[in-house]
Amino acid sequence: MLQKSKLVLRDGTSLDDLIIRESNEVSLRVMTDEELYKLEMEKIFAKTWLLLGHESEIPEVGDFIVRDMAEDNVIVARGQDGDVHVSLNVCPHRGMRVCLGEAGNKRVHQCIYHGWAFRPNGDFIGAPVEREKMHGNDVDKKTLGLKKARVHLYGGLIFATWNVDGPSFDEYLGDIKYYMDQLFCRTNRGLELLGPPQRFTLPCNWKVPGEQSGSDGFHTLTLHRSLMEGGVMGGTAESIYDQAPGMYGVDVSCEQGHSLRCLEAEKTFKMFADVPFEGKSTRERLELLAPPGITKEMIPELFENLTEDQVAQLATIPPQVGGMFPNILIAFIFAPRTDGGSSGALSLHAYVPKGPDKVEFVNYLFAEKDAPEQMKRDMLQNSIWNTGTSGVIEQDDADVWPVIMKNARGAVSKDMTLKYQALHGHERPEGWVGEGLLYPGFTKDDTQWNWWLAYYDLMDAV
Amino acid sequence: MTWITKSTAAPDSTTILRGLVSKKRVPLGSDIYNRLLGTLFDEAAALDERRIDDWIAMLAQDIIYQAPIRLTRTGPNRDRDVMRTMFHFDENYDSLVMRSGRLQKSAWAEDPPSRCRRFVTNVRVGERDTPGEYEVVSYLFLERSRGDSPENENTTAERRDVWREVDGEYRLARREIIVDQSVLGMSNFAVFL
Ligand code: FES
Ligand SMILES: [Fe+2]
Repeated sequence: MLQKSKLVLRDGTSLDDLIIRESNEVSLRVMTDEELYKLEMEKIFAKTWLLLGHESEIPEVGDFIVRDMAEDNVIVARGQDGDVHVSLNVCPHRGMRVCLGEAGNKRVHQCIYHGWAFRPNGDFIGAPVEREKMHGNDVDKKTLGLKKARVHLYGGLIFATWNVDGPSFDEYLGDIKYYMDQLFCRTNRGLELLGPPQRFTLPCNWKVPGEQSGSDGFHTLTLHRSLMEGGVMGGTAESIYDQAPGMYGVDVSCEQGHSLRCLEAEKTFKMFADVPFEGKSTRERLELLAPPGITKEMIPELFENLTEDQVAQLATIPPQVGGMFPNILIAFIFAPRTDGGSSGALSLHAYVPKGPDKVEFVNYLFAEKDAPEQMKRDMLQNSIWNTGTSGVIEQDDADVWPVIMKNARGAVSKDMTLKYQALHGHERPEGWVGEGLLYPGFTKDDTQWNWWLAYYDLMDAV
Repeated sequence: MTWITKSTAAPDSTTILRGLVSKKRVPLGSDIYNRLLGTLFDEAAALDERRIDDWIAMLAQDIIYQAPIRLTRTGPNRDRDVMRTMFHFDENYDSLVMRSGRLQKSAWAEDPPSRCRRFVTNVRVGERDTPGEYEVVSYLFLERSRGDSPENENTTAERRDVWREVDGEYRLARREIIVDQSVLGMSNFAVFL
């Protein structure tokens, strides 16, 4: 028997009525309920680690960017100490935003309302007309800094959380770290963000794209049919369901809700179909087909930064798409180009909640810092072509999600369920190195269901 | 106009919002102005009527078609808000042809298609140094009706074009789309601007 959740909404609906663990279903109502949304903001978005950008955006002391942790606007800045600081962009005086620009360099952030001033690390400097003590008669200046979030850099990615005493970033990642490291921590100088993120809004709840980021591989065959029609994936338009390109591999996930789909590159893309891997060493395989974003020159670095087993996986069955709970999608994909190149596309999306029925899609595009300029240029183009605002893959996602949202509102429709009943069950493939929950074969619903279980755990926590 | 793309995330390589650069203006109402204006209207009609092949036929083979992102900036950087390091569109002729091919198959984002109206105004024209090439700056207001939603999605932008005269017709050789929103209200750019 599963323990019943203590979370009960005002109308008597319990978390167990929404996330139905007995039958692996989720009520569509989770997408619209305002009370649930408010609880999510506190129990999830004020508790977990959230992606805010990349340190290559703020290389110099005083550099800042302004981002959102759900509906909390924050300043991400490099302080005098050289470290990255994340502070709530709410003036402790009377609630104005302290920083109104999206990016720049400032040693002092002065609120335009009454002039309270702060350092890049959030510390309070003072209020104008110092002798009049306009910060308060008996108030210690140390208490007047901007509210500070806890920060962690992972492969240069800036993560922050309000949960100061909560799990460390490594605990949050859990077993998936072994696989994530293959994407984010594999070269000596690491990744570089190619420019500020694309930002656009969709009229749907954050969980509509969120649950897809739990590695919904299956939708690719139908929704992203144009990939097969364009001849990019293996298989032809007529044989999509027979050949099911990109569907077979090993899905990995963990109880924290993160997941990655590891795909045999030679089977996924038509252009690689003739690359013979049999009997080849790791290094030879990498020489034949380097992972997306990696040049031949960088191959030795892979061995310096990763274990031999990790490199072997990267050479054979690299992680390519997936997500980090709650709201990050990862696409580190081979992106064959019309000019014959395939320098890859490296992209991360954050699906930032902006109310129960609105989400901001923030699209971060990367290349390895040491990639040649032309490769960076190509990768930028590849990523824009495939993902984000005009991406031929994600245009179609952006078309589906708002429609699901509309459906979730009907008196009858709201009680329909999302189904995760096509399950494989954890199974360790022969010779597999690396921990986590493993699902070899055809991509099924397991990883997405784990995403919902992670959601359940956080929502259920007191 | 600058068309150079630098790969760096730090927002220094931005440039100021500046439309028409040419000093040699083509006056309103002149023959060339009228023909270019007619071309812009024809182009809008081809796109609104979803005659995508007709639109592709209006493009030069060396076209660069980009939509840089906008940022909200303050202080000394307040006018440097066009980020030419990141784009919503970053296209050449081949990629535009690929997009048009996709639209004719399973591009669910436009099947069913949006019903679009492109309003093109504030057209200013200047001569370029290369004979037969014109700098054409216009404002675009796009209204887009999708599905059964009674609320249109819309967006505004300035377009900085280069049109080149070829065999008595004009071909689009450059387009830079300066969107006005730092966060787009439109859920995708599955339509051309
Ligand atoms: S609200 Fe910021 S100084 Fe008053
Ligand atoms: Fe998708």
